[in-house]
Amino acid sequence: MAEVIIFGLMALPALAGGVTVVLARNPVYGAMGLLGSMLALGVLYVAQLAHFIAAIHVVVYAGAVMTLFLFVIMLIGVDRADDQNERLPRQRQLVILGVLGIVATAFAVAFSGRFSWVIAATGERIPQATNGTTVALARVLFSDWVLAFEATALLLTIGSAGAIALASRRGKPVDLPIDPEVTS
Amino acid sequence: MTYFESYLTVGAFIALGALLVGVVLVLARALAPSNPSAEKLSTYECGVDPVGSGWSQTYVRYYLYGLLFVIFDIEAVFIFPWAIQLESLGMFGLIEMLVFIGILVLGLVYAIRKGVLRWE
Amino acid sequence: MTFEIDYLALAPELVVAGTIIAALLLDLFLTRSKKYWVAVLSVVGVAGGLVPIVYMLAEGGTRSMFDGSYVVDEFALILKIVFLVSGYLVLLMSVSYIEADRYYQGEYYFLLLSSILGSLVMSSSRDLIVLFIGLELTTGPLFLLAGWRKGDAKSNEASLKFFILGVLSTAILLYGMSLLFGLTGSVEFTAIAAAIPDLVSEPALALSVLFLIVGFAFKASAVPFHFWAPDTYEGAPTPVAAYLSVNSKAAGFVAMLIVMYTALPGISEVWAPALWVLAALSMTVGNLSALRQGNIVRLLAYSSIAQAGFMLVPFAAAAVAGSDLAQAFSATVVYLVIYALMNLGAFAVVIAGARRTGSGDIDDWAGLGQKDPVLGLLTALFFLSLAGIPPLAGWYAKFVMFASVIEAGGISTLVLAAIAAVNSVIAFYYYARVIKAVWLDTPSEELLARPGREYAGSIKLTLAISMGLTIAIGIYPTFATYFGEASRVIATGGG
Repeated sequence: MAEVIIFGLMALPALAGGVTVVLARNPVYGAMGLLGSMLALGVLYVAQLAHFIAAIHVVVYAGAVMTLFLFVIMLIGVDRADDQNERLPRQRQLVILGVLGIVATAFAVAFSGRFSWVIAATGERIPQATNGTTVALARVLFSDWVLAFEATALLLTIGSAGAIALASRRGKPVDLPIDPEVTS
Repeated sequence: MTYFESYLTVGAFIALGALLVGVVLVLARALAPSNPSAEKLSTYECGVDPVGSGWSQTYVRYYLYGLLFVIFDIEAVFIFPWAIQLESLGMFGLIEMLVFIGILVLGLVYAIRKGVLRWE
Repeated sequence: MTFEIDYLALAPELVVAGTIIAALLLDLFLTRSKKYWVAVLSVVGVAGGLVPIVYMLAEGGTRSMFDGSYVVDEFALILKIVFLVSGYLVLLMSVSYIEADRYYQGEYYFLLLSSILGSLVMSSSRDLIVLFIGLELTTGPLFLLAGWRKGDAKSNEASLKFFILGVLSTAILLYGMSLLFGLTGSVEFTAIAAAIPDLVSEPALALSVLFLIVGFAFKASAVPFHFWAPDTYEGAPTPVAAYLSVNSKAAGFVAMLIVMYTALPGISEVWAPALWVLAALSMTVGNLSALRQGNIVRLLAYSSIAQAGFMLVPFAAAAVAGSDLAQAFSATVVYLVIYALMNLGAFAVVIAGARRTGSGDIDDWAGLGQKDPVLGLLTALFFLSLAGIPPLAGWYAKFVMFASVIEAGGISTLVLAAIAAVNSVIAFYYYARVIKAVWLDTPSEELLARPGREYAGSIKLTLAISMGLTIAIGIYPTFATYFGEASRVIATGGG
């Protein structure tokens, strides 16, 4: 029961945050909406017994990644007027249609499903407090998924090296000179 | 005490924090005299007169610092579970983590060599 | 903690990983005039990765690690060869292209090698997490590489479009994976396959399978998830476009097939029609759009979309008909191997031809055959092979595809075969258009007056390798069949 209440209490702000991201004219407000959404999700993780994930969700996403988002928004310049023109004919109608489709699918799945799959809710695993803890995570992360773990390090390095190569303006201004013809 | 009840402490803590802020704000509104002037209403910028708009464009350099910060933040996140299980993971775990950190340090060395961390 | 790492099984990945690190470090400490050593190192490293693979193939057997989440069987080894060889050819193509830009040379190879490593990891993955990381490692660096020509707005557009749609597809893929994990309680393919029979009536399972298909189809740029491909290919540096059209497409493709084949065979009534539609749409839309392209890179982009459709045909047909999937699997792998070779050859021709003519417009290529007969012949060779004309490798790919469809039987498969046949004819038209421009049209004054610039030895080597293999497979198809047969081992090893 408690889980259902918490889910309701937190799903609403999470959704509201998401709607803010889409609708806010000022991107900083959008970022704040995302922040609220992430914090609510963090609580939901706790409700799913995933303490460690909840903690890093708040630290990394709501903390570090959010900071990066704000940097990017400020980099682009908040005051820059956005091009609000809609390019596709009947864009709005199509969006509404798409949203209705998604909602209908969600309802169809929710009401015809048996939902034996929410394992935490069936109570089977709640007594084992080790589920989803840092210890349990460490045990699999550093044995079965060593490879994925090291590959993650490489992904992070790719991110930093690539961003530096693309963003830094040291040295001569770079402009690959060879066959611009192909693209012309 | 069930799982969710054990989190009541956290809930109480959050509620108290919100309450404290609310009370202080209401008290300030109720007790402080309101006497605005143009000088008082201007944006506070380290005591100097504010220049330009608050929404100004920043340099891409900040972004690179932010990115490096995120990357090492994630590294720290991975170190926590490793540190907890250090004893049972043993030598192999140590090597794993050293390789992981080594690859990330490579990114840092790269940034340093490219002079990204030099502020001009 | 008892588990062992089979270092021989990991050797190809370790060699490439070592090369990646060495390439980045080397780039940092070399002076600008010596940066070409990074290219040399990368090429040697990728070739070195082939050595342990050949050794393991000769030895035979299946090596499984990490609780069965990482399997090195013949199927994985074959795919690793495909990824390494095509990666090797792309590296060769890149050398002269990237060389003029000395400042960002090292990073280019670093990123390209990382992507190759990702596809190596992906081909051995037999669990959702390793598969996802491998796929991300494959596509992540490409977002950056697509935008490598920073000064060109088209390149920026290429990168941005690719990035936004790529991230969206990744999100959908992850959503599908999380649903699948929530339903089955496992990330391992064999465990998922075992749990599926109890869940077939669960609508969320069908939803998760469809999400997975959408995610993979984006990476494989199958219609209707192809919108990013033409713009990205056009704006990206040409070697990167070649890589996108071969390695990254194959990675998405292979990931889809592995998941469907080893994890979800129990619910093929959901994904088989979806794949059928994807195959039919990709062939038709890709080919029809290719008809109207004036730019050769865009033409190849649409052609590669259509080829993805052809590749899907055997698998989709067999799944719809409920016949032997292993047979279809080997047909698809044969097609993939041949496609990789001839498409890389075609892109190498584009790089060389753009050098010669100074243009990417097919009209400006008029009379290239008179100006440079060797290049003209190669253009004809690779485009005819793509069209599927014997005795070039492309015909064998098409032959295997049709043979496997007819073997599958059933009305819906025959419809698919008919669509494929019509599309082969359409495809022949636009491939032939390029050849006609090169050989039959009269060259412009401008082209004849252009100084005959020599192109780099690395481009020549790329052309020579892909030409040799395209002709060899066309004349002696058993060679490619070996790849297909060996790839069937996944049926016993992984599934």
